[in-house]
Amino acid sequence: MNNAKLIIIVIFILTAWSQSLFAHHVLGRPAYSLNEDSNTPPSMQVETQIGDYFVTYMVFPAFPKAGERGRVNLYATHIDNGNAYNGEVTFKVRDDVLFGNSNPETLGSQLPDDSVFRQGFEFSNDGDYIITAEFTDGGEPYIIDFPLRIGPPSSVGPIGLAVGVIVIILFGVNLVQRKRLLTSKLRNAHEEMGTDKS
Amino acid sequence: MTMTHPGLPDYWGLIIIGFISFGVLWTIFTPSPAHIRTSVLSLANLPVIGTGIRNMVASRWLLLSLKFVMVGFFLLVIIAGLFGTPIPERNIATVLTWNLWWTGLVFSVFLLGSAWCAVCPWDALSQWLVRRKLWRRAEPNNSLNIKVPRWLANVWPALFMFVGLTWLELGVGITISPYATAALSLLMVVLATASLAIFQRKAFCRYFCPVGRTVGFYSQLAPIELRPINNDTCANCKTLDCYHGNAEVEPCPTWLVMGRLKQNSYCTSCGNCTQSCPQDNITWRFRPPSVEALHSARPHWDESWFMIGLLALTGFHGLTMMPFWEGWMSQLAQVIGDSGRLLSSFTIGLIACIAVIAVIYSALVEATRKITGTDLEFKRLFSTFAFVALPLAFSYHMAHNLNHLMRESVGIGAVFVNPLGIDTVPLSMMEKHERHMTMWMSQDLLFALQAGLMIFGFWIALQVIRHRGLTVIPINNRLAGIKLLPMLAFAFGITGFHLWLLMQPMIMRM
Repeated sequence: MNNAKLIIIVIFILTAWSQSLFAHHVLGRPAYSLNEDSNTPPSMQVETQIGDYFVTYMVFPAFPKAGERGRVNLYATHIDNGNAYNGEVTFKVRDDVLFGNSNPETLGSQLPDDSVFRQGFEFSNDGDYIITAEFTDGGEPYIIDFPLRIGPPSSVGPIGLAVGVIVIILFGVNLVQRKRLLTSKLRNAHEEMGTDKS
Repeated sequence: MTMTHPGLPDYWGLIIIGFISFGVLWTIFTPSPAHIRTSVLSLANLPVIGTGIRNMVASRWLLLSLKFVMVGFFLLVIIAGLFGTPIPERNIATVLTWNLWWTGLVFSVFLLGSAWCAVCPWDALSQWLVRRKLWRRAEPNNSLNIKVPRWLANVWPALFMFVGLTWLELGVGITISPYATAALSLLMVVLATASLAIFQRKAFCRYFCPVGRTVGFYSQLAPIELRPINNDTCANCKTLDCYHGNAEVEPCPTWLVMGRLKQNSYCTSCGNCTQSCPQDNITWRFRPPSVEALHSARPHWDESWFMIGLLALTGFHGLTMMPFWEGWMSQLAQVIGDSGRLLSSFTIGLIACIAVIAVIYSALVEATRKITGTDLEFKRLFSTFAFVALPLAFSYHMAHNLNHLMRESVGIGAVFVNPLGIDTVPLSMMEKHERHMTMWMSQDLLFALQAGLMIFGFWIALQVIRHRGLTVIPINNRLAGIKLLPMLAFAFGITGFHLWLLMQPMIMRM
């Protein structure tokens, strides 16, 4: 196998892996603590930093499903003084697609309730979505995207990908081996013919 | 709410500092010995059980059975990770992979050398997929058998993959994502399979696998090794079945000739040599744990970088689990304008940590070169003294992991009852507190073991400096140890840093 083929295989594997990494990144970190303001655990609790703010957001219930109500809780504190943000936060939603853009839809704008911004939602279809929370402070816009999975996760992805890559590799190797075998047989036949003539 | 484990108490810190200070002085004032006395104990020569052990290592069934068990667990991890609950402490994928295997692996090396590689499910699955044989040699072997290109035939790929694994583990946080854990497991199988199908023998195990290389280098400090029973038998061997294999058994996957084997680094304990040797001349034997790092192992440039990288990354692991780490990352993020998960800040922290250790080590190697006035070039001296990094990394790695294992593994039996975590909820604060307070051993014993490991690592590091130092200073020269002060300072400083990490409260992982 020449170097070009090798490079193609390596690039294919790396590309495949990078997609599954993005998938994980989109899924976010699931929570492992029960929050005190809910009797159900959140499906995710992510702490993130943007500009001058620490932002914590949670999604309830643990496993949101299509046709069932859920909500996003968001809490933002200033890095320097720990003061909670008290303005207005607008929540939008769009489909989480790998290529192209989908039109965002506004879920609502919320004022703080005891410093927590609570936004309800209800989805009619299972799927991967991106929730966007927007607010402004000091004339600067703050936009935070985070993923939301509605319904059971698609579980065929990594297995299908792994099996696909392995099958392609084994099939490719098999083809090359057959070609080698054929070439070797032809060479032997030529050599035998040459020996017979002499 | 973040919960932390208490750090090593001050009195243990003082004991360790006292010991390592004494150790440095002792090294300075005691001449290095000219010879190393090593004695080994071949398990095959033991009375009563010797014959049983000899038969066991030559049998393929035991190894095959263990492989089946490991592959079974591995497939369970993948199924649970992809189909089970996303709650990490309720899913066997994350608990088995990160709490038990990844944490416990270093202890298996301490006791059994590279035995893990012999039952590695990545390798077993790739072997079965490509060779299409459970254990017997496949002819043809269904591989393109391409020679590994020179630029890849070293441990740099494994080092880069280890850095990448650390980034995924601590930066991206795959340890708390069953899905990502399963995806990573599948990726490793794909890489092992691709390598086996393309390259000669098991290039993945020898050059690319970050786990295999870590196990391999740490195995230099293991008290056990796979070696010939009688060296003369190997010296007179004409067939080299251990290297070439025979009609039934595969050749050595990592190109080793048993009669010339001096270090464990690349031995995967696969058992091919024990099964193929026509004289049944290969078996396990006990040995002093430091013998390879002291003098047997040969220094190589790429391997020395792997060892320095290992040292840096073990310290980095500890650093990221300190409560102040998040504050550092937050400040760095504000400086560079990073936002979100702060992956850029984390990446800078990771690279900086490796760079700092490498720069300090390089500077001290150069200082040693100047002080001793040796003619050896920098690269040679760098590689020679890099073995100092091994015991320092190994001992801290174990001391750190012991904390995880003893404090965070309580109650994990539940995941074996419900591996996918069906209908489970996250740990309540009550359960978290209960786990936090319950340990697998008493806290005092844990502290004593951690202190013992730190002293063990430093003591071996001193021995390495003394023996490897013989390449640059004369034998039996009193006070010659002063010329090795830079290397002693390195071992002292790194141990001090590790001790400081151990004395800090550590964030509970799950």
